[in-house]
Amino acid sequence: MNLFTSSMLLTLLILIVPVMASNFNIYTKNSYPNYVKTMVSYAFMTSLIPTIIFIQSGQDMVISNWHWMTIQTMKLTLSFKLDYFSMIFMPVALFVTWSIMEFSLWYMHSDPNINRFFKYLLMFLITMMILVTANNLFQLFIGWEGVGIMSFMLIGWWFGRADANTAALQAILYNRIGDVGLLMAMAWFLFNLNTWELQQIFLLNPTNTNLPLAGLLLAATGKSAQFGLHPWLPSAMEGPTPVSALLHSSTMVVAGIFLLIRFYPLTENNKTIQTTMLCLGAVTTLFTAICALTQNDIKKIVAFSTSSQLGLMMVTVGINQPHLAFLHICTHAFFKAMLFMCSGSIIHSLSDEQDIRKMGGLYKTLPFTTTALIAGSLALTGTPFLTGFYSKDLIIESINTSYTNAWALMLTLIATSLTAVYSTRIIYFALMGQPRFPTFILINENNPLLINPIKRLLVGSIFAGFLISNNITPMTIPQMTMPTHLKMTAIAVTLLGFIVALELNLATQNLKFKSPSNSTKFSTLLGYFPTTMHRLQPFLNLLASQKVASMVLDLTWLENILPKSISTFQMNTSMMISTQKGQIKLYFLSFLITLALTLLALKFV
Amino acid sequence: MNPFALIIIMLTVVLGTLIVMTSSHWLMVWIGFEMNMLAIIPILMKKYNPRSMEACTKYFLTQATASMLLMLAITINLVHSGQWSTMKPLDPTASIVMTLAMAMKLGLAPFHFWVPEVAQGIQLSSGLILLTWQKLAPMSILYQISPTINPTLILTLSILSVAVGGWGGLNQTQLRKIMAYSSIAHMGWMTAAMMFSPMMALLNLTVYIVLTTTTLVMFMMNSTTTTLSLSHTWNKTPLLTTAILATLLSLGGLPPLSGFLPKWMIIQELTKNDNIILPTFMVIMALLNLFFYMRLTYSTSLTTFPSTNNMKLKWQLNPIKTTTYLPPLIILSTLILPLSPMLILLE
Repeated sequence: MNLFTSSMLLTLLILIVPVMASNFNIYTKNSYPNYVKTMVSYAFMTSLIPTIIFIQSGQDMVISNWHWMTIQTMKLTLSFKLDYFSMIFMPVALFVTWSIMEFSLWYMHSDPNINRFFKYLLMFLITMMILVTANNLFQLFIGWEGVGIMSFMLIGWWFGRADANTAALQAILYNRIGDVGLLMAMAWFLFNLNTWELQQIFLLNPTNTNLPLAGLLLAATGKSAQFGLHPWLPSAMEGPTPVSALLHSSTMVVAGIFLLIRFYPLTENNKTIQTTMLCLGAVTTLFTAICALTQNDIKKIVAFSTSSQLGLMMVTVGINQPHLAFLHICTHAFFKAMLFMCSGSIIHSLSDEQDIRKMGGLYKTLPFTTTALIAGSLALTGTPFLTGFYSKDLIIESINTSYTNAWALMLTLIATSLTAVYSTRIIYFALMGQPRFPTFILINENNPLLINPIKRLLVGSIFAGFLISNNITPMTIPQMTMPTHLKMTAIAVTLLGFIVALELNLATQNLKFKSPSNSTKFSTLLGYFPTTMHRLQPFLNLLASQKVASMVLDLTWLENILPKSISTFQMNTSMMISTQKGQIKLYFLSFLITLALTLLALKFV
Repeated sequence: MNPFALIIIMLTVVLGTLIVMTSSHWLMVWIGFEMNMLAIIPILMKKYNPRSMEACTKYFLTQATASMLLMLAITINLVHSGQWSTMKPLDPTASIVMTLAMAMKLGLAPFHFWVPEVAQGIQLSSGLILLTWQKLAPMSILYQISPTINPTLILTLSILSVAVGGWGGLNQTQLRKIMAYSSIAHMGWMTAAMMFSPMMALLNLTVYIVLTTTTLVMFMMNSTTTTLSLSHTWNKTPLLTTAILATLLSLGGLPPLSGFLPKWMIIQELTKNDNIILPTFMVIMALLNLFFYMRLTYSTSLTTFPSTNNMKLKWQLNPIKTTTYLPPLIILSTLILPLSPMLILLE
């Protein structure tokens, strides 16, 4: 037991040391990035100890260290929850981060601020760890905000570029909208359950949890880029590739799903929220898969692929399978980070060319990257017995056999086949065919700093699924029996996607490009979502408020209603009354009419 | 005009009104009205120009019509009740027709069209008699028949008169027309009071006569008939400038001047009878009256109106106009308010 807690805290301490060292100028040698990378690898190995202990003994632990404050009857402490989710996620995250840091030693080699870059990456990792091991919502919120801030700093790394700044701001804004939901949930818990500790919340088991769970869902929508708050994720590709690999594929964007998974004792009792999550996830996964079909930037395709997988995770939480979703988080980290690193290798080798229409024929010049890319794509699509299969196929089977919304199920299946389609698109355009890039570039991938991390993650993409799913404690009963056609659904749609995509690509290879059809436009313009929401909405709001403030308020209410209307009325009436024609016959006429009317009215009515 | 003729005509005017006020036979009332009307025509025609001819003609036509309506009312009353006494209550139909006849004589709306035109076409002194003395006779008849007047009718006449008097006067710069519209508005106030407390109507009439006399005598002193010439008063008779200010504001009903007294009393009588909307409306319309009086005071007393330079140094001979009774009139028209507790004697 002592080894559990002490090695766990040691892991966190190992991560903090380089940050302290750079803050207080203790580390004086030149190779700070290498130092950081080594520390992260040590942290990974140290974190394996508590994980193995946890797997062997099956016991959760909560470390409650320091009593920060007590607000009336609520006690705020620094407490770490070391349970199934955090114990398994930590080594995975640390492994992936280690690989990414080694990769970024190669990728950001020529950057003058590489020390700061590594410090930011490390700070991000620390806040992610805080988020994952938090036992109370306050600590989780600290980690939540921390990853948001670090995401902003890292997306805007090349801040001289206007698009990067816009993208960073966009990420912050969309995350902020989600934070409102998290705060609402925290407030509800504070009011109704008088606590922010997870144990107490689950113990009290409240019944009317619609409001807090909706808040948590909103937070997850913001952080994990579900439909409605999704545009920031493709825009976040403005950051360097290691950032995309670490934050926006493996760790930060899964924080939202992780939050929902943490609260599974509450969600499993609330059918409404489950249905909402299911539908939201289904829409997300299909919509982003459609958007990925026509993108030309390789990083954007992978970003939309991430978004689609996040939707799939949301769908899994929606059918009340949090442990499957968590498994998918862990396996997804491996191959998605590797896909990003392969993209980074391609981009750097082609001297910063990101458009797949200008790549091609790379399987001869970058064989290792090609292997990794193809293996990663196969793992992504759920090829049997690679990593992705152990989580994705189980998810598809669970959806098929659960008593749930058939429409959401169909959307998810279509998205699964589209996954294969856009993976084929990347492979076809980037790797196969004749080169479409300028010929004077020297391409090689000899650098061990590039090869080793990809190699590690490649091994992980192939074997990690098997290893993890065989060693974790079973928390739910997987569906064992189902009709053959249901079991074959995932494979079938994936194969269908592959074949159709390959056929279409080969058939249309030499055709003239016509002007885009409406569906193409829909996909290329990301479903018109950014156009309307980023431009139209604020414009209409500002226009309406300008009209209200200046037209309605200033002009009409303050000026026209009383002062001007009274003065014009008086003027018109006085002109009407005092202009007389002067003809006596008219006056007599008025006398006659008055007389007649009066007599009639007063005598005979 | 030949002074003898003038005296006889004036006496006839006075006699006619007195006959109207004191007779107990309806025919004598009608005779009085006819005497009054016929005798005042030469007074209105002091100058022989087409304008005053037209004014006289219009006055004659409307007043003759009114007298005919009066005769109609008397006849209807005779037919229904068989007697000529003015002390007995009137038949309702006769009452309606007689009210309308009196309204025509007074110049209440919707019979108000002749008042500004007649007032504009005649001399200031004739206008004085027109606007003050001529109101006595019809008001006395209204006072006598006030128990049987149809409330709806008279309140309608009153509301319309107040409104017309207010709005009509806004668009005027000629002083005689302003005084005409002012008389229409005041008549409206009087008839409104007539419904609930005829005594207050008489009070209003008295105060109105005093005020109008003061104002018109002041105008006659300077022979001004337009706002522009009134604005030269500061040069000609500076003392009068202050007096004009006080009198005009009193006409507008501004406390603590006398003109406030009848308005206050009337509003009190109306609200005692649970009538709230009517006095509110009348007071708001009286604001319009006050506005155009204030416009006059603004150009006359409160500012030096723009004028050419030789207007600023008027030289004049010794004035020979006799300012009849002006100082007491000014006092009466501005300082009567503290005497209001004396009204308790009327109860």
